[in-house]
Amino acid sequence: MTIEEQVKSIFKNVLDISPSEIKPDETLASSLGIDSTELVEISVGIKKELGVALADSELKKSHTFNEIIKIVESKKVKCA
Amino acid sequence: MQPVAITGIGLVTPSGIDRRKFWSNVLHGRSVIKKIDRFDASRYRSHIAGHVHELDAYSNVSSRLLKKIDLFSHMGLVASEIAIQDAKLDLSKEDLKRAGIFMGNAIGGWLYAETELRDLYLEGREGVSPFMASAWFPAAPQGQISIHYGIKGYSKTIVADRASSLMAIGYGAKNLLRGKNDFILAGGMEAPVTPYALLCCNTSGCLSPNNEEAQTAYRPFDKNRDGFAIAEGAGILILEPHSRVKSRGVDVYANIIGFATTTDGVDRIKPAQDGIELARAIRMALNDAGLQPPDIDYICADGAGGVESDISETKAIKLAFNDYARTIPISAPKAVFGNMLGACGAIDVITTVLAMEHQLIPPTINLRDPDPDCDLDYVPNEARAKDIKNAIVINRGRGGINCVLVLQKP
Repeated sequence: MTIEEQVKSIFKNVLDISPSEIKPDETLASSLGIDSTELVEISVGIKKELGVALADSELKKSHTFNEIIKIVESKKVKCA
Repeated sequence: MQPVAITGIGLVTPSGIDRRKFWSNVLHGRSVIKKIDRFDASRYRSHIAGHVHELDAYSNVSSRLLKKIDLFSHMGLVASEIAIQDAKLDLSKEDLKRAGIFMGNAIGGWLYAETELRDLYLEGREGVSPFMASAWFPAAPQGQISIHYGIKGYSKTIVADRASSLMAIGYGAKNLLRGKNDFILAGGMEAPVTPYALLCCNTSGCLSPNNEEAQTAYRPFDKNRDGFAIAEGAGILILEPHSRVKSRGVDVYANIIGFATTTDGVDRIKPAQDGIELARAIRMALNDAGLQPPDIDYICADGAGGVESDISETKAIKLAFNDYARTIPISAPKAVFGNMLGACGAIDVITTVLAMEHQLIPPTINLRDPDPDCDLDYVPNEARAKDIKNAIVINRGRGGINCVLVLQKP
């Protein structure tokens, strides 16, 4: 499973949405109406599933899904 | 006090969510108390309760939101929606900065909290859902209702044990008369059928251990009573000042015309045995309503089914009503579905409103062998026809809380 697929799966489980609802280039706030507590849960999910710890500044409502994927991928490479 | 109109009602109870079904079950005294099967409660001294069914059938709460909230908030949201529709309120045309929410709750959202505490001890800090912070506390339903409808006006959550929601309704009505809100949602919710909440209720010593006879265990004013059975549920009223009701052209179920509360200052659990402070609350509420003892046609009693609580409630009614005490029908309809703790006041008000509407007094079930010290007319086991113009609702909480609301048929 690619990193994108794994993160998508975390979003799907945390937000109880279908993957098609994720608009990769729209902000999380505008596309998913995400709240700050949901962001914390997604952050915990990413750490659990991918072993990547994101700082608060790296996971924000104003980020797009694709921006988050890039951050996770770059941190995953550094970890490896 | 000036009358405040009840223009909408919504309930979620073990006896039904549909109002007609609820009323039929309460009127016919069909007990729905049964052994708890949601978790293994067999080792608890009392392990019977009234359970809500059909909640999902009435709910339009998204599965995404359900993950963030406890059952007590869910029941509050469902009851709120029913009440808003019942009152024919179009919130898109209201100034929601002048809409308020007055809720009562006693113990908070323990189903959510217990699960997360278990995860805390098993998995550490990161095992705990971040929604825990906003899901468990008693004012959580107020927040969820506020978010769901965009209500932004003066609001409050009252925590006063089993008097919580009656107190919320009373204070909400008083607040409306001060002109702070155009209308309010008032009521309460409780979800105590969880392992830890049930344990806390058990240790209070107020619950019946008569598990083998679940449907007859809760027997207010009976000589063989040994406590109440808990229940989950929610009740919400829409309250509006009369000036607004006229312009909206909606029907009024009943008016709130008096409210008072006192405290015993005697014991952390039991009510004061002399009933003096409850009697004072009754007299203060009657005075607030501008009524005299002979004006009251029905008393919806607290009826907690404990030895001390039932006798002291009886004493208080005698002290407040003197010679008239024996002439006023009194009942505790909640014995049918169980005691909803912080939500029971809202359901008692709704039951009394329905009794006024149908001109029928719902009975006190399981009253077969009256306690000689409880010698008033408790409308035992069978409903009774009666035109009710004025009624009072009594709720009491641990720590000696006494609360009385006066209702009048429009």
